Amino acid sequence: MTETAAGAPGDGSAAGALVWDWSVRVFHWTTVALIPMLWWSAENGAMDWHRRFGLTLMGLLIFRLYWGVAGINTARFASFVKGPKAITAYLARMKRPYTPAAGHNPLGALSVIALLAALTAQITAGLFAVDVDGIESGPLASLVSFKQGRAAAEFHEFFFNVLLALIVLHIAAVAYYFIALKTNLVRTMITGRRKGAVTANPGPFPLTRFLIGAVLAVAAVTLVQL
Amino acid sequence: MTVPYRTLGKTLGAGFALFALAACGGENGASVSSEQESKVLPGGGTVKEMVEKRHEAMEDIGDSFKTISDQLKSGSPDLEAIKGSAALIAEHAPNVGDWFPAETSPALGVDTDALATIWERPEEFAAIAAKFETAAGELNTAAQTGDVEAIGAAFKATGGQCKACHDDFREDD
Repeated sequence: MTETAAGAPGDGSAAGALVWDWSVRVFHWTTVALIPMLWWSAENGAMDWHRRFGLTLMGLLIFRLYWGVAGINTARFASFVKGPKAITAYLARMKRPYTPAAGHNPLGALSVIALLAALTAQITAGLFAVDVDGIESGPLASLVSFKQGRAAAEFHEFFFNVLLALIVLHIAAVAYYFIALKTNLVRTMITGRRKGAVTANPGPFPLTRFLIGAVLAVAAVTLVQL
Repeated sequence: MTVPYRTLGKTLGAGFALFALAACGGENGASVSSEQESKVLPGGGTVKEMVEKRHEAMEDIGDSFKTISDQLKSGSPDLEAIKGSAALIAEHAPNVGDWFPAETSPALGVDTDALATIWERPEEFAAIAAKFETAAGELNTAAQTGDVEAIGAAFKATGGQCKACHDDFREDD
């Protein structure tokens, strides 16, 4: 295997193989930052900021979903979403000495899908939400009635708890890998690299495909505000 | 480790079940009404009917507010829609004070988002209801002139009264 622009291929280098490209990492950590900001702005009635943060997250999420289809291999859903058999087989391997997967493992895949689905549901409800005074509303609320907008807002408020539960579970799992399996998932999500992981040569970063995703995300965020 | 997988399923399942429950338990839900709710008010009608009536009227006002808000946000506001909505708000506004007889307090076991503070601080409540009435009248006047800027300002002022009252006298939701 040869060196490429996207980083060291395979497991040859000391830094480890690239498992998360920078766009996946930026999506992950921006989401981490935005969720408390979204919570804070909603709690304090700073709805202009809540809309801005929410639309930013929507753009990022649309990009990530697109990247799950058109991104580099480890970001693609088809590469890591597996059936119950693969999950059971993985569970049997979940003990020390533990060898991390080259991307998402079959169990972690469930966490990815659940979190992305929950974010999608939460953002969709927020787009249509209307406050109790009929004054503040999501950018698509004009398409629904006051009652429907109120139902969307109530779902939006309730569903944040589901999102929180999934986040707590996600963090608990990451802690379990660190403590019980001596595997640092946080570092990998920061550097993108995993020592000892064997990945197919990711090749150069697919800039054209990335730009298509970025345009898609910006277009969607613009469209809902028209 | 089978825990995350199972917990995930359980959390999701419990979450949706909880939401289904919450969605059915609202003010107009099928909950059995308490003894207090079937009491007849001096002005006629039961406590439950009054709670339902004000809930629907408040929803009407909310609907009208949303219409005005939607129109103001759009590039080309539909003035007829704004006029109709502003008139409806102004029609309801003078009655708000009458929708809250003491028998309908949650302190008596009535299922309502109205807070008992309404009857603990009646002068404050009456004052804020009067302010709302004035603001709604001004919004209606502005709406009938068709001056979008004036409508925007009056809309903000009226909305501020909704919020002020809800902050102190309505259950947070």
